[in-house]
Amino acid sequence: MPRWLRAALLLGGLALIAYGLSGLLADSYITDPFDVLVWAVGAVVLHDGLWVPLLLLLGASVVRGPVLRGWLIVAAAVTAVGLPAVLRDGTNHGNSSVLPLPYLRNWLLVLAATAGIALLIALVRRWRHGGLHLRGLHLKGLHLKELRLRRRARPADPS
Amino acid sequence: MTPKPPDPRPRYDLPLPPPPASLRRGPFRAGAFRSPLHEPRTTVVLGRWLGAALLVCFLTGLISHALQDPPGWIVPYLQSRPVSGYRITQGLHVISGLAAIPLLGAKLWTVYPRLFEWPPARSVLHALERLGIFVLVTAMLLELFTGLFNTLQWYPWPFPFRQTHFWIGWLATGGLLVHIAAKGTLIARHWRRPAVGLPQRRAFLTAVTAAAGVVTLTTAGQAVPFLSGLDLLAPRRPDLGPLGLPVNRTAAQAGTVTVPADWRLRVDGPRPYVLTLAELGQLPQYDVELPIACVEGWSASARWTGVRVSDLMERAGAPAGASLRVTSLEANGPYRVMEMPAEYAVDPLTLLALRVNGEVLTADHGFPARIIAPNRPGVLQTKWVERIEVL
Repeated sequence: MPRWLRAALLLGGLALIAYGLSGLLADSYITDPFDVLVWAVGAVVLHDGLWVPLLLLLGASVVRGPVLRGWLIVAAAVTAVGLPAVLRDGTNHGNSSVLPLPYLRNWLLVLAATAGIALLIALVRRWRHGGLHLRGLHLKGLHLKELRLRRRARPADPS
Repeated sequence: MTPKPPDPRPRYDLPLPPPPASLRRGPFRAGAFRSPLHEPRTTVVLGRWLGAALLVCFLTGLISHALQDPPGWIVPYLQSRPVSGYRITQGLHVISGLAAIPLLGAKLWTVYPRLFEWPPARSVLHALERLGIFVLVTAMLLELFTGLFNTLQWYPWPFPFRQTHFWIGWLATGGLLVHIAAKGTLIARHWRRPAVGLPQRRAFLTAVTAAAGVVTLTTAGQAVPFLSGLDLLAPRRPDLGPLGLPVNRTAAQAGTVTVPADWRLRVDGPRPYVLTLAELGQLPQYDVELPIACVEGWSASARWTGVRVSDLMERAGAPAGASLRVTSLEANGPYRVMEMPAEYAVDPLTLLALRVNGEVLTADHGFPARIIAPNRPGVLQTKWVERIEVL
């Protein structure tokens, strides 16, 4: 990246921060900017101090394989966006057009549908890597001999 | 070719002494984080997506702010076209904001070990750079959190949403620019796909893309008509509400459930007059198809029927280029009084609507009369109108 561009970005960015900060401090509606700081720092502490360590522990101990990991990423995103609506369901201050859907059901539905897709992907991957094993359960009816595919040695799972 | 050494410390930077090594424990230890995805290429790919989402949010947010609360110098530039302009920009604002939630999560996860880099600050510049990242991360988290909750009309925090969300947006975007400047060399080095790929990276980026995709597909239907069937998690559905149209503020909330029996529309100008509802209904009526687009990201198209605002102005003897002030029956509320620049007032699509989708307005939709204008935020489509002043 050329030097002049970096300098311009730096100066522009600092100008925007200064503008935002002065606006935040001077806004007559924001009577106590300290509240904003508390919530901002609180958000970082919760995210970096609680949520990410939890993820790392989970990822390092329990989660195996790219498909399960991928589905958990999707599920976390769906939950982050959908759970507030689930928790808030029914609170609409008499406005029936706010939160009009069955959010708990829909949230579970999206989780189930994405889990179904993930399962399909996992099965296809197994199929392509060799016989169809489901944790010790060998599905004879689907045995690949009938498809004249020879079972290959599975490469080590890269994850 | 040998890899380029890291940038030498600029001459004006001051080194800081490293803290005692005995403090280097827990996550600060070398090799504490083992995933191979805590690496710059993954971060650069995610950063590009997240940066794009943030810039879309910022620019559409500025547009929304300019339309909703325009500083004086902007007023002459406001346009009533395209008709769906605000529907599109604000729809994009919320769509890209929601997509940014998984992107930010993934981005912060890849760089999480950097939070524990050792020494925590090598020099004054390094410490300032990390302070800049702190501003960026806190601002981003707060923006996405408050934005998401605002779409649910859920306000657990003690500060006002709109002003705070606006100012923090400047901090987030400024923080992003500073961050790009600070990381420019690293970003450039990892901008292109490396010759040798990393299978885990591909799987991870695919999963993050899928996450952003699922979030978008299950929420964007609140603004995008052809996705409304998949609208499972958004706080609104464009066809759910009285007369098949959502409502932002109900008559009960505004205290306008019963309209005074002696309601008259008062139009003030060089030739002031008053009209009863029956008299309004006898003026030439027009049908327009216009979207109502809310700052919370939902929007819905409807067929509105009523009197052209320009006809009402003309009858009051308004001079060319006059703007309007419209007052609602509601006793209080930040949008009780609305100002309408001339550009919107003379637009033939701008109506004082009496009916929507073929039915007389319900109390929640603004009975007896409401404003509907093209390319304006929903809060400025004043309901329960009682007075129009030519300015």
